[in-house]
Amino acid sequence: MAASPFASRSPSMTVASPNTLRLRAGVTDWPPRPAFTSKPLAKADQELTEQLNEDVRQKYVKDKKLGEGTYAVVFLGYLRNDPASKVAIKKIKVNAEYKDGLTMDAIREVKYLQELSHPNVIALHDVFSSKDQNLNLVLEFLPRGDLEMLIKDSDIQYGLADIKAWMGMLARGVWFCHENFVLHRDIKPNNLLIASDGEVKLADFGLARSFADPYLNMTHQVITRWYRPPELLYGRDNTPVPWTYDQISKICDAFGTPTEANWPGVSKLPNYIPTDPASIVPLQGREFFYRQFPTAGPVGADLLMAMCSLDPRNRITAVEALRHHWWTIDPRPTRNEDLPQKQKSGAKKMGDDLSRRGGQIDDGPFKNAARQLDFGAMK
Amino acid sequence: MASRNGVDRRDDDEVCPVCKSSRYLNPNMRFLINPECYHKMCESCVDRIFSSGPSSCPVAGCRKTLRKNRFRAQTFEDIGVEREVDIRRRVMHILNRREDEFDSKRNYDDFLEQREEIIANLVSRIDVAKTEAQLQAYASENMDSIRANQALEEEEASTFQARVTKEQEEARQRRQAERDRLDAERREMQAGREDFLSRLASGSSADAGKIAREGHKVLLKKSSARRSEEDRIRQKQAALRGSETKRTGTTLSSVEKSGDSGLIKGLRKIKTPEPEKPYDPFMGYVPEKRDYYTLKQSYPSGYLDRIRNDPQAQAGGYDLREYYSRTLLEAFAGLGVFVEEEVTRRDVSQAAATEGAAVAVEE
Amino acid sequence: MIEDDIYRTSSQFRLWSYTEASLRSLREKTNAIASERVRAALRRAKEAHQSTTSANGTPQTGSDGEGKKMDDKEIDCLTPEEELAFVRFYCEKTLELGETYKPALPTMVRATAIQYLKRFYLTNSPMTYHPKSIMACALFLATKTDNYYMSLRQFAEGIPGKKPTTQEEVIGPEFLLMQGLRFTFDVRHPFRGLEGGIMELQAIAEGQGQPGPHLTHQTPQQLQQKLLAISPGPVRASSISDRIGRAHGTTREILKTAAQMTDAYFLYTPSQIWLSALLLADRPLAEFYLDTKLGGPLTSTDIKPDPSDLQNPLYDLRTKLLRVLTDCSALLQAYQPLSSDPGQMADLQRIAKKHHHCLNPEKKLAPKRTPAGTEASPAPASESETERLAKKRKLEAEKARSSQDIFGPELVTERTKQ
Repeated sequence: MAASPFASRSPSMTVASPNTLRLRAGVTDWPPRPAFTSKPLAKADQELTEQLNEDVRQKYVKDKKLGEGTYAVVFLGYLRNDPASKVAIKKIKVNAEYKDGLTMDAIREVKYLQELSHPNVIALHDVFSSKDQNLNLVLEFLPRGDLEMLIKDSDIQYGLADIKAWMGMLARGVWFCHENFVLHRDIKPNNLLIASDGEVKLADFGLARSFADPYLNMTHQVITRWYRPPELLYGRDNTPVPWTYDQISKICDAFGTPTEANWPGVSKLPNYIPTDPASIVPLQGREFFYRQFPTAGPVGADLLMAMCSLDPRNRITAVEALRHHWWTIDPRPTRNEDLPQKQKSGAKKMGDDLSRRGGQIDDGPFKNAARQLDFGAMK
Repeated sequence: MASRNGVDRRDDDEVCPVCKSSRYLNPNMRFLINPECYHKMCESCVDRIFSSGPSSCPVAGCRKTLRKNRFRAQTFEDIGVEREVDIRRRVMHILNRREDEFDSKRNYDDFLEQREEIIANLVSRIDVAKTEAQLQAYASENMDSIRANQALEEEEASTFQARVTKEQEEARQRRQAERDRLDAERREMQAGREDFLSRLASGSSADAGKIAREGHKVLLKKSSARRSEEDRIRQKQAALRGSETKRTGTTLSSVEKSGDSGLIKGLRKIKTPEPEKPYDPFMGYVPEKRDYYTLKQSYPSGYLDRIRNDPQAQAGGYDLREYYSRTLLEAFAGLGVFVEEEVTRRDVSQAAATEGAAVAVEE
Repeated sequence: MIEDDIYRTSSQFRLWSYTEASLRSLREKTNAIASERVRAALRRAKEAHQSTTSANGTPQTGSDGEGKKMDDKEIDCLTPEEELAFVRFYCEKTLELGETYKPALPTMVRATAIQYLKRFYLTNSPMTYHPKSIMACALFLATKTDNYYMSLRQFAEGIPGKKPTTQEEVIGPEFLLMQGLRFTFDVRHPFRGLEGGIMELQAIAEGQGQPGPHLTHQTPQQLQQKLLAISPGPVRASSISDRIGRAHGTTREILKTAAQMTDAYFLYTPSQIWLSALLLADRPLAEFYLDTKLGGPLTSTDIKPDPSDLQNPLYDLRTKLLRVLTDCSALLQAYQPLSSDPGQMADLQRIAKKHHHCLNPEKKLAPKRTPAGTEASPAPASESETERLAKKRKLEAEKARSSQDIFGPELVTERTKQ
C-alpha cells in the first residue's frame, strides 16, 4: 500500500474540533478551561458557535499593518502562545457596492484555501470573525515579496538554474490545485509570493473555481489578460473589447495563426475572428522557441512549445509539464537557500499583494509585457 | 648580488664535500641539498651523479637513495634548521585541521600540542618509524579533508594577497586624492584671495569686513563640499570591500568523516550530507497514483454523449478525462476512512495536546 | 490508501466528522447553552415589560397575573431531539425551495445548503435563530459557493409566499451562518462519486473493466463474466446495463433525500454513503462492485475462498468496511420523509408550538455589516437604551411570529390539513 505523501496541516495550527472544546460557562458541571485560553472575552452569554470563533480569534495577536488595498487590510500577526511565530492576517473589507453579501472573491479564496494544503500553495491557518462582522484570514507569512518584484528588479541577477527552481515550485503549486480540481485562473508573477526559506507559493484564490463537471459554462472573463490563453480570448463575448483582438493578433504573430488545421473546431468558438488567408502566420516550430528563449536550451524550448500550444487539447498539462525531462537535465534547479532575493520590503509587498482584488493589477500594466516572458533576456 | 635561491653565502672558500672543488676557484658554484639526508654538495656533482637516475648519497656513511629532482638550494645556513622547517612543513601539510573543525577550543589546543610533539619527535629522531606510520595512516584516511583544507588555505592566502594589493592600491589612491585636494585648495585659495583683493580694491572701506567674512565662508563651504564627496567615495569603497569579503566568504564544506586512525581527538562530528538525490519535480508526491481503481481514457455514459460530440466544448479545451478522473476519485476518496475510529483517536490526542500546552504555559 | 489520504485533508473530515457519541454530546451542549440563555432572555423581557407597565401608571392586573404564571412554571425549552426534528423539517423545505426556481437549482447546490443548515445547527440552536430565516440564506450562500450564480434580487424574488421575501431578509444572517460554518464552504457530496462508480460498472458490463491496482489478476472478460453472473436484482431489467441504470436512479434518489436529512455526512465519508445507498438500491450489484475493489467473497461462505483471497491484502479493510456500510445503509433506510409520515408530522406540530414560546426574543438576526475601515463602534448604549432595544426586538419577534409566512410553522399546519 502506498504511503501517503499528503502532509497534514501545520501542527502548531491544529484546528480544535468542537468535540474537544469544553463549555466555558452556562453549565456548571464542566471543568474550567485551562487558564491560557479563558480570555476575558469568554462570556456566559455566548452561543457555542461564538465560543468556537472566539477561541480561534484568541489564538492570534494582530501586530502592525502591512498593507491596505480596496479589498482588504493585511496585518502582521503571531500566535499568542508563540510570539516568535509569524502570520499574515488578512481582514477582508466589506464591498459597499456588492449588495449580495460576502463577495465572490472572498468566498472563493476561503473555500479553496481551506481545502488545499501544499508547500507551494499559501497556507490558510485559520479564519475567524472579529467585531462588526469582519472576516479575518490567518495566512502563512511570506516576507520575501513576489516573483514580479524579482523579475522587475534589474539589480538582481539570475540564471537558468534559478528560473528552473522557481518554475518548478510554480508548476507544483498549479499541479496540486489541478490534482484537487481547482483552477486558480489568475496565475501571474505578483500572485506568486516567496516565503522566508525561498519557497514560492501560489496565492490569491479570488478567481479560483472547481472544474471538471460537464455542461457548466465557465466565464472566460478571468485571468489577468496578458496571461489569458487563446481559447478564452475566443470565448463567448458579445462585445469584443478592442484589446481582445489586439491580444489575439499578438499571439498569432508570435506563435502562429489558429486555423481549423492546427486547431480543429476553433472556428466554432463564439468569438472567433477569421484571419485573412494572406496574413496567416504558420505555426511556430521548436527552433522558434529555441531562438526566442536560448537560455532555456533545446529541451527547455521543447517544454515551452508544449506549454504554448494554441490548441488546448495539445497543450501540456501541469502534471505532464512536471514529467518533462527538462527538470532532470543540467543545470539542476537552484536550492531554495541559494536563490537570489531582494533584501527589503518583501513584507510590505505581501501586504499589497494580499489586499488586492483578484485579477486586479496593482500598479498599472507592465510597461513591456513581452519582457516578462523573455527568458533569453535574463542572464 | 642576491641569489635567487635563498641565502647568499659569503664564505668564499667553501668546499664541495664530494668533488672538493672550492668556491674560491669557481665563484659561480652553487650548493644544493636533498631533504632525504641534508648532505650538501655542489650543483655539478648533483648533475654528474644523479642525472642518470636515483643513486645513493656520495657522502661517506650515508646510504640514502637520492633523486635529482628533490635537490634544492638551502634556505637556512644551519642545516638543522633547514631540516626542521622541512619536517614542520610536511607535518603541517598533513595535519592541517582547522580550529572550526573542533568541537571545543580545548580540543583544538590539544591538537596543536600533539602536532608539535610529532614534529619534535621527527626532528629529534624519536620513534620515527612509529610516528611516520601514524602520519601515513592519517594521510591516507583523510585525503579529502586534507585536500579541502589545503584548498581553503590557498584561497585564504590568495584573498589575503589580493586584499593586501587592494589596500595598497587604495592607499595610493587616497594619497593621490589628498594631493589633488591640497592642490585644488591652494589654487582656490589663491583665486579667492585675488578676487577678495580686487573687490577690496574696488569697494568702500565699510564693506571690507563683510567682504573678508564672505570670502572666508565661501572657502569653507567649498572645502566641506569636497570633504563630503570624499566621504562618499570612502563609503563606497568600504561597501565594495564588504561585499567582496562576503562573496569570497568560504563556504566550508568538509565532506568526509574524520579518519578512524584516531590520531586526532575531539573533532567535531561532521554531518555527512547525503549524496544529492536527483531532482524530483513532484517533491515526493506521486501524481495520479491510486489504490482503488485504474483510470481509463474513456467510459461509457449516455449522459456525456452530447458533450463528447460538441466541437465547441472540445475546441474550447473541455476535457472529459478530467471528469472521469474526478468522479472516480470521489467514488473512492475516503472509502477506507473510518470516521468513528479516527475521530475518536483525533479527539483524544487533541485533548491531550491542549492539556499539555496548558501545563507548559502554566509552568 | 492514497484516495483516503486525499479525503483526510478536506475540511469535511477535519472539522465536520463526528462519532455518534460526540455528535450527541455536541448537540446537548448547544442545547444546554441556548436553553439557559432563552430562559434568561425571557425573564429579562418580562421584567422590562413589567417596568414599562408600572411606569405607565396603569397597572394591568391581567398582565401581572400572567407574569406570575410565567414565574411559576419553568420556561419549557426544546430538547436536543426536538431541535433536530425541527431543523430536519427545514432541511426538507430547502429541497423543495430549490425546486421552485425555474430552472430548479442543481441537486448539488440544494444538498450543500442542507448540509450548511445541519452544520450550522450543531453549534447554534433553533431557539436562538429560527431555521426559516437561516434556510433561505443557506440556499443563497450555496448558490454562491457552488458556482451557480444568481443575483440576490433574482433569488429573493424566486421565493414563494404570500408576502414577498426581501433581499435583506435573505442576506441578513449570512455572516452569522458563515461563522456557524466555521468558514468552511466546501461540502464533499456523494453524487459525483456515484457517477464515477456507475461509469465504471457500465465499462465492466461492456467488457472494458480495468482491475484495481491491487487486484491485477482480474481480466476485463472475467470481470464482465462475474457481473453477468450476479444474482437477480430487485426489479427485472432487460439487460445488465439497464439494471445498472436503474440502480443508478434509485441510488441518486436516496442520496438526494435520506443522505441529506440524516446525519450520514457527519458520520460517514461520501464514498461510504453512495456505496451504502447502492447496497439499498441493488445489493448484489453493489456487492459485486466491492468485490472487484477489495477482493474476496463478501458473504457467501459456501463458495470455497480463492487462494488469492486468503492473501488478500485488503481483507481487513474489507471486513471493517462491510460493517460500516451496513450501519450506514441502515441509517439511510430508516429515513422517512416527514411529509409522508403523519405520526412525525403531528409531533413536529407539537414541537413548532413549543418552539414558538421558547424562541429567544433578544437574538435579532445580524445587524447590517459595516465596512471594515469604519470600525469605530458607537459609544456603549445606556441601560435604558439597551432595554428599549430589547423591547423593540421582542415586539418585532412577536410580529414576525404572528405574520403569515410561507416558511413559518404555518406550513406545518398547511401540510397536515392536506
